[in-house]
Amino acid sequence: MKRLAGLPTLRVNSARAVSIEYDGKRFHGVEGDTVATLLYANGTRIFSRSLKYHRPRGLYSLDGQSSNTYVDVDDIPNVCAENTFVGNGMRVEPQNVLGTPEHDWMAFMDKLSWAMPAGFYYTIFHKPARLWPIAVRHIRKTAGLGSLSPDVELRGRFDQIYPAADVCIIGAGPAGMSAALAAAAQKLRVILLESRPWLGGYFDYRTRNHKPGMPLYLRGRQLADQLEQAPNIRIFKHTAVIGCYSNNLITAFQRGSEADCFAERYVQIRAESVVVATGCIERPLLFENNDRPGIMQIGCAHRLARTWGVLAGEQAVFSIGHDLGIEAAIDLHDLGLSIACVADVREDGCDPALPPQLEARNIPFYPGWVAAKAHGRKVLKKVTLTNLSGVCKQQFDCDTLVASAGLTPVTGPLALAGARLEYDAHTGYFLPTGIPQKMHAAGRMLGLEDPTAIELSGRLAGLRAVADCGMAVGATISGVEEELAKLPGPARGSKFVVAPVEGKKTFVCFDEDVTIQNIDQAMRLGFDVTELIKRFTSAGTGPGQGGIAGHNLPLYVALTHRSPDLHPRPTTVRPPLVPTLLATYAGTNHPMSKRTPVHASQVAAGGVMERLQPWQRARRFCADTTARAEIENVRTNVGMLDASTLGKFRIFGPDALKALQRVYVSDMARVSTGRMYYSAMCNEDGCVIDDGVATQIAENDYYFTTSTGRAGETSEWIRYHTRYDRWDFHIINLTDAYGVINLAGPNARKVLEKVVDGAVSNEAFPFLGFREFMVHGAIPVRAMRLGFVGELSFELHVPSSYMQSLWDILEEAGEEFAIWNFGLEAQNTLRLEKGHVILGSESEQRTTLHDIGLGFFWHRDKLEAQTVGAVALKQTENDTSRLKLVGFKMEEPAARAPRDGSPIVAERIRGYVCTARYSYALKEPVGMALVEGYLAKNATRLTIFEDDCKGELMKAKVVPMPFYDPTGKRMRM
Amino acid sequence: MLGRGKRLWSRSKRLKSSYDAVIIGGGLHGLATAYFLATRHGMNHVAVVEKRYIGFGGAGRNTAIVRANQRTQENLPLYKEALELWPVLTQELDFNLMFYNCGNLNLAHSEAALKAMRLQVASAQFHGIDSRLIDPKECKELVPALDVSDRLRYPIYGGMYHPPGGIVRHDAVVWGLASGASQKGVDIIQGVAVTGIGVQGGRITSVETDHGTITTPRVLNAAGAYAAAISCEMLGMRLPISVLTIQAMVTQPLKPILHHVISSGTYHCYANQTLKGEVATGAHMDPWPNYTTQCTAHYIKHQAEALTQLLPCLKGVKFMRAWAGLADMTPDMAPIIDGNDPVRGYYLDCGWGYFGFKSCVVTGKYLADFMASGVCPQILRPFTGRRFEQHRLMGETPALVHYSPDN
Ligand SMILES: Cc1cc2nc3c(=O)[nH]c(=O)nc-3n(C[C@H](O)[C@H](O)[C@H](O)COP(=O)(O)OP(=O)(O)OC[C@H]3O[C@@H](n4cnc5c(N)ncnc54)[C@H](O)[C@@H]3O)c2cc1C
Repeated sequence: MKRLAGLPTLRVNSARAVSIEYDGKRFHGVEGDTVATLLYANGTRIFSRSLKYHRPRGLYSLDGQSSNTYVDVDDIPNVCAENTFVGNGMRVEPQNVLGTPEHDWMAFMDKLSWAMPAGFYYTIFHKPARLWPIAVRHIRKTAGLGSLSPDVELRGRFDQIYPAADVCIIGAGPAGMSAALAAAAQKLRVILLESRPWLGGYFDYRTRNHKPGMPLYLRGRQLADQLEQAPNIRIFKHTAVIGCYSNNLITAFQRGSEADCFAERYVQIRAESVVVATGCIERPLLFENNDRPGIMQIGCAHRLARTWGVLAGEQAVFSIGHDLGIEAAIDLHDLGLSIACVADVREDGCDPALPPQLEARNIPFYPGWVAAKAHGRKVLKKVTLTNLSGVCKQQFDCDTLVASAGLTPVTGPLALAGARLEYDAHTGYFLPTGIPQKMHAAGRMLGLEDPTAIELSGRLAGLRAVADCGMAVGATISGVEEELAKLPGPARGSKFVVAPVEGKKTFVCFDEDVTIQNIDQAMRLGFDVTELIKRFTSAGTGPGQGGIAGHNLPLYVALTHRSPDLHPRPTTVRPPLVPTLLATYAGTNHPMSKRTPVHASQVAAGGVMERLQPWQRARRFCADTTARAEIENVRTNVGMLDASTLGKFRIFGPDALKALQRVYVSDMARVSTGRMYYSAMCNEDGCVIDDGVATQIAENDYYFTTSTGRAGETSEWIRYHTRYDRWDFHIINLTDAYGVINLAGPNARKVLEKVVDGAVSNEAFPFLGFREFMVHGAIPVRAMRLGFVGELSFELHVPSSYMQSLWDILEEAGEEFAIWNFGLEAQNTLRLEKGHVILGSESEQRTTLHDIGLGFFWHRDKLEAQTVGAVALKQTENDTSRLKLVGFKMEEPAARAPRDGSPIVAERIRGYVCTARYSYALKEPVGMALVEGYLAKNATRLTIFEDDCKGELMKAKVVPMPFYDPTGKRMRM
Repeated sequence: MLGRGKRLWSRSKRLKSSYDAVIIGGGLHGLATAYFLATRHGMNHVAVVEKRYIGFGGAGRNTAIVRANQRTQENLPLYKEALELWPVLTQELDFNLMFYNCGNLNLAHSEAALKAMRLQVASAQFHGIDSRLIDPKECKELVPALDVSDRLRYPIYGGMYHPPGGIVRHDAVVWGLASGASQKGVDIIQGVAVTGIGVQGGRITSVETDHGTITTPRVLNAAGAYAAAISCEMLGMRLPISVLTIQAMVTQPLKPILHHVISSGTYHCYANQTLKGEVATGAHMDPWPNYTTQCTAHYIKHQAEALTQLLPCLKGVKFMRAWAGLADMTPDMAPIIDGNDPVRGYYLDCGWGYFGFKSCVVTGKYLADFMASGVCPQILRPFTGRRFEQHRLMGETPALVHYSPDN
């Protein structure tokens, strides 16, 4: 097809050819083509087949309002050909066809539409019941548009940026550009977002005069030049706004060009004030077969010619409801399109300057007429026009029908931000009301049509945004308001009409193949709310969302509904406003985790790292998953564990002790200097949420630890539970400031004494003692003697920056003993043998302090402290029906340990195994379980039901704990 | 049924002056209970009063996942029966609820998660429910799009596969039940809000609405996320419920790619492909209580980050629509079902959080027994709200839950 050349409005570079492969054949176009314009220029009329009826579908709009032109590009499905720019060598395939779009073997579905009334799938396929599973398979195959391979890899870099702005303007048409210039003139930081790759909006392709000698497109370019030169405007072209959230948080995505370092990038902007100047799209005209390829909107036909140099066809009929339609007819006629006639839904009210221009070109003009039916089996062949009463009819041959009922504003950003949409009878628009503060609407979307008024309304909104930013522009605003009042206000819109024909295929929604007949059916069944009709018929739920159905559906419902109080209400707008790739939302998707100060050396030592909440931790250092060698090394020699993830806190101030009394169950007044004190925290239900140790560092100054999982919440927990007390204390989270090494095993002292400056003998530094040392005279260490793993052990807390040094020093000092790392798996077995609990492992959400046998820690006489959970601890003290923690061994010592999590049953489920492991020290399996109170007595048999056990239960018996070293000699050595 | 073009339910706003029972809320639980009252107990002098339109609440916003692999034996039998009811009701209502029995695969990303799953799997098996632990290779066989490599931020250690679960068409359940109840004479009254509940001598006497008073001896509060507020404001009964916004979203429709519901607690993400071909996904709740039903920018991004890790091919797919609903959360993630306590004739069915779809028909069935006889069926007894007074949480969730610092 020959393309129009030399038009000043063109946005293609005819000098540079590009080509793509489509359906196995090569097609040529020019730089600047979209996939749709390239294919259209090459004669493609049928782009796809519709979802249900497999009707042929063609180019209808150019901004992705429907899935009509969805194609597969380089194995990525559902790519909208209308706004995807051609890259050389793209491989494009049609989708949802069996055969080709021209010859689709599924086309017979269209004949079966009688069998598919609204919601038909609710009424068939289930009789008889065995039909359903077969139907499911079939439904799944026919539903869905594009297909995706599980192995496909999307190419390109996806990025994200989070710029901030004083004023953010959405839409770079005349109103948005004027707003940006007004705000930029006040030296504010302005961001301008435009979904097309160029600025200018609907001025960009029009040759009508703005002022004598100044066509609209030139005016658009003039404004754009000014913008590009303003230093404080950041312009994002080819950037679609997808979300608007509270407090002016705007999200968008930008498509990169070949010169950019990203394929697409997610843009999230926080602005002080926002101007929405998104203009209008066209409201589809409802008539029989209004979906036939060859039928398109005004802007589509006009921009196809003016922006891309492609004439829509040879012989066109226009059925329009807006002056833009007449203007387009005149312009396209002059560009070489033959026009059979122009029918205007409006009986009067068009710009009086326009009809004479039609007459001058011998184009018949039919005011008060409208398209009633499109003819042609696959593509448009002719059209029947009627007058509004339907009495007169006339047919015209044509290959193009430019059809449009009028305009409808693009209010999505405002609606998402919380504005309500109210029907306005004058414009026929759903106009935004209750726009949130610091957000302004401008331009064509308010119903304005006069170009000067549109620009001025943009300027006004820009100034209001300036005022939002705290600048005194009140007088200027009043001046612009007065000026604007003198210009033409919102124009009268065209009436809502449905052509008076008996028709079955008048589509309200293309994507889901929903006809007005389907809407009637739904309403007859009792669906009388637009929102429900949408759900029942699926109208507006397809890929284009409300793009086609958004305006017509609520109007049709309101008009055909007999209830007089029914107000047309559009359905709720949902983000994203434009379908957005998951890759784009995900952006760079940086993996984030916390590493302990000795992470690198843990990995180097062969640590098998595992994610534990935010941390990376070493599970084990040996190949054997039971970590036997590490366990035995701790039991007989000496090992080192990196325990840096423990929560570590300092709390100090005159009321620090009171705060500790509030959250810990025991009497914290007993916490003294030089000693470690174990205690636990409960929630209001008496359930244990944390345990750890505390010591006093100085007067009113305490240091305590929490479990890894609670490190993030503890400060808030303490503050929350003391919020009404006006107590004077401070709490500092030192978790990341200190690293922790657990040096454990019978040889631990021998290692430690080589490096510290103080005495570490059992007398000088007894079990549960706390000491501060210097290592090599340089590294300050807080040392505590604890016994979690059941051997002589020192927990060394050291400033993070010294952690690696201390680790290396200890490793060197321990070399003569062959000191070795141990990891979480070894620790787990070691502490299990001691009957020490790990919260979350030996407890669950509902487990109280009593349930895990630690009730004796609760100091009941601390009444004035109002300890969190104390009331519940009292109330549950004697409740024997709860799950209690017990130790168990297998009845047969030779049996293997049951798997963690296995239920304990006796007619019903009576509890479950928390942790069970083979104990190398004891040469038999040991475990802990939570069981119903009546099973908690010593020597009670427990029957264990493992998954996939096929009825073979395992037998165990309750035994006292600890299993290993019951008297605790070894940790007191 | 549809072909005849008869209304599926009564016209809005025709209130009678008295009913045997008034149900507040035309959501899943309200409609299900009405249906079973009418069909199983001959109680058809019943009104379902709905403030907006049926299905306005969680009923129309959920992601329709059904399964019976819960953690506790109080829950397992209930959900097991619930799964069995979908096909039965489809026939009974002559309305296709579209139970798509695709099975659920829940992924484990740590040893601890596998252990938690083992308890669930074994408990399900103990109750005769098909559920099993599988290894990463089997996960990959079930879901070829899954990335089971150790490139993942949280590599997959295995999964819990539960073949009897799947998804059901949520709207169909609402409409099917409404139509079934209406055919039996239940009045479905839309656009009418309950504004008060009358009590005399410890008994329910009436219900106030913005369209007049109804006398009735029985009221079921099935107002979903608003139930706790109704209990508190109209009867002074405070319930331990926090309401949080929860979001979900769908991609553009695709030909079949995901053949199971997949979920991952670690990634805070689940996804399934609906019969229409959209990948529906959700999981997280807002981190603080609110009734806004607003979507957030953070959430949709998080969801994309999680999904594109687990299922890298979805990078090339587009999100089409996101929405939000409310979840009424109790401290133990199990509902509150009560009746005649402390007010005779007052029934309560709420706290269903983000799991009240899968349970709706079975709960409605037993709740109807309860309301008709005044005696609580055994299966519902564990759900009494009194459990919180006794600090006896249900244990449906192993870990502590925080909806806010005060919870
Ligand atoms: C995003 C999301 C995803 C979910 N996914 C799942 C899932 O996959 N699986 C699952 O099992 N569950 C899921 N759920 C949960 C499920 O939707 C709810 O638990 C369920 O809808 C609760 O049913 P209901 O009948 O109690 O309440 P609803 O369905 O919310 O109905 C309550 C009704 O009461 C009405 N009402 C309120 N106040 C009044 C008044 N004063 N007078 C009259 N009427 C009133 C409301 O308008 C509403 O229609 C999800 C929920 C959400 C929000």
